[in-house]
Amino acid sequence: MGWFLVFLAAVSEIVGVVGLKMYSTQKKNVGNTLLFVGGFGCAFALLYASFQFLQLSIAYAVWIGMGTAGGVLVNMIYFGESRNMRRIISVLIIVAGVTGLKAVSA
Amino acid sequence: MSKSWMYVGLTCLFELFWVYGFNVASIWWHWVVIVGIIIVDFYFLSKACEKLPTGTVYAVFAAVGTAGAALMDVLLFDAAFTIHKVFFILLIIIGVVNLKLADNKSEGEVG
Repeated sequence: MGWFLVFLAAVSEIVGVVGLKMYSTQKKNVGNTLLFVGGFGCAFALLYASFQFLQLSIAYAVWIGMGTAGGVLVNMIYFGESRNMRRIISVLIIVAGVTGLKAVSA
Repeated sequence: MSKSWMYVGLTCLFELFWVYGFNVASIWWHWVVIVGIIIVDFYFLSKACEKLPTGTVYAVFAAVGTAGAALMDVLLFDAAFTIHKVFFILLIIIGVVNLKLADNKSEGEVG
């Protein structure tokens, strides 16, 4: 149950990042605002719920790693953001750093 | 430093304010202030994404939030500063700096 909630939280975060992209670069309409704010809102609520089942630092580490990597990938695949190798490696280093740091912070 | 990167800086700064707020909030109106800070923070986040790639902005936002929260725990809330934390914070800094440099090179390619 805990991991399922973390997974849903990460998916919500990616929805929030898509909303952020569309809100910033397309229209500031109700739909995009809801995707942006609602995506991040649900992500935090689901993550918070997962803390009942999992250790906080571990749940947070997995969530932020999946969400950040997913957010960048979605923007590369669906919104045509640059795919140069240095950019991909940099994001992988950040995801490793952020996930690792959360995992070792009790 | 472009105006867009100034927004990246502001969104990261306000993120640290609300992370701090989460650590110290004790009465109801603290949470009203925190929600206000989050709204301002998300406004700057969306302004930063108008010109820069959203993936870049969001990765930097997540990186600064995580490294900042860890440092805040050590400096203000008496958490232990371990060699593991130093290692991962350095890793995050290397990633962010490289991501910024990578995007400087490919500026104009990204819509």
